[in-house]
Amino acid sequence: MIRMERVSKVYRTEHVETHALSSFTVAVERGEFVAVMGPSGSGKTTFLNVAGLLDVFDGGSYRLDGEDVSRLSDRAMSRIRNEKLGFIFQSFNLIPDLDVFDNVDVPLRYRGLGGRERKSLIEEAIGTVGLSSRLRHRPAQLSGGQQQRVAVARAIVGRPRLILADEPTGNLDSAMATEILTLLEEINAAGTTVVMVTHDPELAARAPRQIHMLDGRLMDFSRDVPAPLFDPSRPRLDPVLSV
Amino acid sequence: MLAYQLRIAAASLRRTPVLSALLVAGIALGVAVATTFVTTFHVMASDPIPDKSRQLFYVQVDNWTPERPWDRDRPEEPPDQLSWRDSQNLLASALPTRQTASFKADLTVHPASRDERPFRALTRVTRPDFFEMFEVPFLYGGPWDEAAEADRAPVVVLDEETNRKLFGGEDSVGETVRIEDRPFTVVGVVAPWSPRPKFFDVTNGALEDPEALYVPLSLTPEMEIRTTGNTSNWKPWDGEEFADFLESESIWLQMWVELPTAEARQEYEDFLAAYVREQQAVGRLTRPVNNRLRDVREWMTVSEVVPPEAKTMLIIGLLFLLVCAINLVGILLGKFLGRAPEVGVRRALGASRGAVFAQHLVECEVVGLLGGAVGIVLSAVVLRVLNRLFSEDLELFALDLTMLGAGVALALVAGLVAGLYPAWRICRVAPATYLKQQ
Repeated sequence: MIRMERVSKVYRTEHVETHALSSFTVAVERGEFVAVMGPSGSGKTTFLNVAGLLDVFDGGSYRLDGEDVSRLSDRAMSRIRNEKLGFIFQSFNLIPDLDVFDNVDVPLRYRGLGGRERKSLIEEAIGTVGLSSRLRHRPAQLSGGQQQRVAVARAIVGRPRLILADEPTGNLDSAMATEILTLLEEINAAGTTVVMVTHDPELAARAPRQIHMLDGRLMDFSRDVPAPLFDPSRPRLDPVLSV
Repeated sequence: MLAYQLRIAAASLRRTPVLSALLVAGIALGVAVATTFVTTFHVMASDPIPDKSRQLFYVQVDNWTPERPWDRDRPEEPPDQLSWRDSQNLLASALPTRQTASFKADLTVHPASRDERPFRALTRVTRPDFFEMFEVPFLYGGPWDEAAEADRAPVVVLDEETNRKLFGGEDSVGETVRIEDRPFTVVGVVAPWSPRPKFFDVTNGALEDPEALYVPLSLTPEMEIRTTGNTSNWKPWDGEEFADFLESESIWLQMWVELPTAEARQEYEDFLAAYVREQQAVGRLTRPVNNRLRDVREWMTVSEVVPPEAKTMLIIGLLFLLVCAINLVGILLGKFLGRAPEVGVRRALGASRGAVFAQHLVECEVVGLLGGAVGIVLSAVVLRVLNRLFSEDLELFALDLTMLGAGVALALVAGLVAGLYPAWRICRVAPATYLKQQ
């Protein structure tokens, strides 16, 4: 699903260069559930942004679902985001003026689907997250857990192949966090690839595969890591740092 | 998608009501000023008879004193009107398809009912061709014929208002109305008609309404109908009788000919030149031959129907709108950038840069249209005040459909000018930048 080879991403200001991703190489297969861990500033969000075509990278190559996305136009990247990807953010990122139905409707609007088809998909997605009774509620009228469930519904409504979740439980209590993770597991069980950034080792432990990042590089502790993902020229990392 | 973008725009405007009101007010002010000046310019500069303006020609012959030109500032210009003698001589030509000389007079109308007082009515003294040449619409009847003109028949065409006054608006063709000292037979009633500018007689006020009555030109000597329009002389006339005035070099008539082809025009120009040479041979028209045949548009330009000030005000009005729009750029930029996190979310969910740009431009155009609506209402109020300043009765400046369209177009352009840069800036925002900041 995701195949990045020696991807680099540098943020530059007038005086400082920050290497958010350094020769970053990773592969995520279709149907995987991968938890991405690492300390703050290790490049997890940059990885998700690049993987989700929300940010461009400076070097290396990236194939998403078999397609080279290194040199796509904005329109083409937008289409891929709309049709193949679903995003879940830590702070839910719901649009406050729109009710639940209309929030979930947003990606379908940009896909140009007809009203009847959109309605059917939206009701199905909202049903999946158990919020059918809250269709006309605004985000402010919902709890944090409910808002994140709406965000999950919005992420899955377009039936994407890959869900990218950036600390989806970061703003939730443990019960709500477990609930959201269960939802993601169900989505993954239905065949959708899930990549989730988290700081919570307990939640990460529920993912079949965990990858660790440090200083924009990858440390992968899963049992079946593909050999080419490791860069033999790199020094070994202290495992303590990766937690 | 447009309906969706309109919904988003409406929600965005509702979210910040004070800011939205400020934006709408900014556009409204600019549109009001611009629409007002565009309307006044439009009224003055529009082609009053577009389908015939290239076939109707205003006739000028230089009968002024050999000692000085008629207009010292424009010495090449012949006088702007004709004398009775010249107009009568020229009307004898059979070259034009139609032709008329006319002037403005003020005649007394005596209503049939003794309870009603006589009143003065502005009158166009003219020939029957006048009506067809200038496409005058009729409510009842029509113009008098050439025979009536030749026979100096006392016939009259009323305008709709005078017909209402005298005959309650009924078909009055065949009725009698006393004008000055004799009974006139009504042959026609003109439907409401008010060409702007009043091109057939700009000498006496391009923004005036057409006259209330129309009577045959041939009645002038017999009834001694005197003009109430402009009269210019370069020497006093000999004698004290009205006939002496008619024989004088005083200029007070406007003459128009209809020449449908370039050949017809050339032929008439040759005729005019020959006429002047003939008159010179008998001691008249002593200035060098300086005849002019100008079509409606040319005549409007030469007559400065649109004063230079109107053009200046038009430019000032448009610049004012531009300044208003540019002033809103900063406000819109702030508003849009404040919404960057939402834009980031929309981008993540599949909105392309183009979609974001279009969405924000739609919002600007909604502001533009709201401001335009308010501005057009304001403009209508200002135009009403302007009308009052010119006259109690006339409605010179009105927002017709064209001007309403112009107002809407100006509002859309203002919205575009104000919104183009902010919309471009917001669509360039990298989606990842704000997603963590929500």
